Amino acid sequence: MTTRSWLLLLASLTGLASVISLFAGHDAASSASALLQLPGFDPLQRMLLLELRLPRIVSAAAAGALLACAGLAIQARFHNDLAEPGLIGISGGGALAAALALAAAWPAQLVSVAAFAGATLALLAIQLLAHGRSAAKLLLAGVAVNALCGSLLTLLITTLPDNGLRNVTFWLMGSFSGASAGQAMLLLTAAGLIAWQLWRQAPFLQALQLGDRAAFYSGFNVGREGWRTVLLATLACGLVVAQCGMVGFIGLMAPHILRRLIGLQLRALLVLTPLAGALLAVLADLIASQALYPAELPVGVITSMAGAPFFLYLLARQRGAHA
Amino acid sequence: MLEARAVSLRQPAYLERVSAALPEGALSVILGPNGAGKSTLLHLLGGAIRPLSGAIWLDQQPLPALSAAQLAQHRALVEQQPARPAGMAVATLLTIGVAGSNPGARQQAIDYTCIHDLLQRDCATLSGGELARVHLARALHQLLASPAAARYLLLDEPTAALDIGAANLQLSSLRQIARQHGIGVIAVLHDVNLAVQHADHVLLLKNGTAMACGSAEQVLQLPMLQALYESPLRELRDASGCRAFIATQA
Repeated sequence: MTTRSWLLLLASLTGLASVISLFAGHDAASSASALLQLPGFDPLQRMLLLELRLPRIVSAAAAGALLACAGLAIQARFHNDLAEPGLIGISGGGALAAALALAAAWPAQLVSVAAFAGATLALLAIQLLAHGRSAAKLLLAGVAVNALCGSLLTLLITTLPDNGLRNVTFWLMGSFSGASAGQAMLLLTAAGLIAWQLWRQAPFLQALQLGDRAAFYSGFNVGREGWRTVLLATLACGLVVAQCGMVGFIGLMAPHILRRLIGLQLRALLVLTPLAGALLAVLADLIASQALYPAELPVGVITSMAGAPFFLYLLARQRGAHA
Repeated sequence: MLEARAVSLRQPAYLERVSAALPEGALSVILGPNGAGKSTLLHLLGGAIRPLSGAIWLDQQPLPALSAAQLAQHRALVEQQPARPAGMAVATLLTIGVAGSNPGARQQAIDYTCIHDLLQRDCATLSGGELARVHLARALHQLLASPAAARYLLLDEPTAALDIGAANLQLSSLRQIARQHGIGVIAVLHDVNLAVQHADHVLLLKNGTAMACGSAEQVLQLPMLQALYESPLRELRDASGCRAFIATQA
């Protein structure tokens, strides 16, 4: 199958999942009549669909695309297929900073800014700790940063009053519910821009597959271009953490599933990864909202429950390949 | 002219005030025992490593004055163990380092290295010798497509993965490329006799210092080589004047 047909397939699957998600829990006929404003439609249902469901689905898709882009970018930059924004501590740093801002009772916009700053700081720490060292060191540095952020978060939760606690849980486990139309548009625009910028970096990322030094010899300022790649990943991940909290493993799963399906051609991956991420996130959100209906699960629970075993599987396979 | 002017370095290898001038349009060979700092000097010449003191000059300009993109128009390098990027087709590998498209340069690079049959292959499936040729083609493409006048092809043990015939063929075509296109080819070699056969210019490196630098006939002499490798050698010569060095028992 060509990249173009995969693109069509993934886009239609994402569209299908979105429609299922939009109508989930209601009968399709009444939902459709509400959407199309057919005679006798229920205005309340129309409002529910357009102002609650639709922004939520768009947010989920855009956040999934952003996380998948971040994962692919980090994997390419650090020559490490197991790297993922959540695993190397970027999301953890963001969530910790967001929780701190919440504890200080900052307004919502500033909480997002704090989440972004936290993600950037965590990334800086990891870059300093692990740059130029082995792939394993990068993951280990991430583990340490994650552990530190996790324990500080727990410390924060135990000292927070009860109403603050609910918000912190949101940051920890992630959720797309309650996304506004504005948030959805922001994430969608960011997803488009970041996927495009990453695509523009394709020549650099391709040269990087030959190693940092070979990329320099073929004309790339590896330090500067590499920072740009990592910055794009941080931007993507920081935005998602700021809007939706920590949603783990999509950045790991989306590129890897694609690698299994379509092979390792970088340009094809750059095109398809955002869509695969969107599809995964919409599906995870659908499961999170419907599995224990009317109760709602945090979407991060679903992605981690699927992602952690997936990570272990990749780890086992990698070791097998090296033995 | 690509020049090292009194370059010194401590890490990753020791180099002490190495000076050498390597001309365009000729095949220059860097010879020396293991650990002499040959590869390190090559990466210094390529600009990936900065010297502690001294400087590399390219065409009357010090290297740090050029950006990575400008440098790539003047020199290309093939590493000792080039990467084997899984999932990348050889045809894609060839485009790395070449901005835009230049079908003429691409075809020349493919012709010189005889990789016509490999273009659709995945790099992960190539043999060691094929991989070496494919990377040489990539570097050649980078230089042949460049508009720059002064161009250098730096090769770190290009014959390491090749048998005696293939190595011989490769060095003669490298020399031909150097002459035809005015490219300075600079190769680190281990095989003295390949240098005797093909080199125009030779730099001998020992313990981080330049022992000699000059034309091949001048430099590749028995006493010099014995001192370089600290090993007893014999020089053989046939009726046609063809020379070879072999190691003898101590």
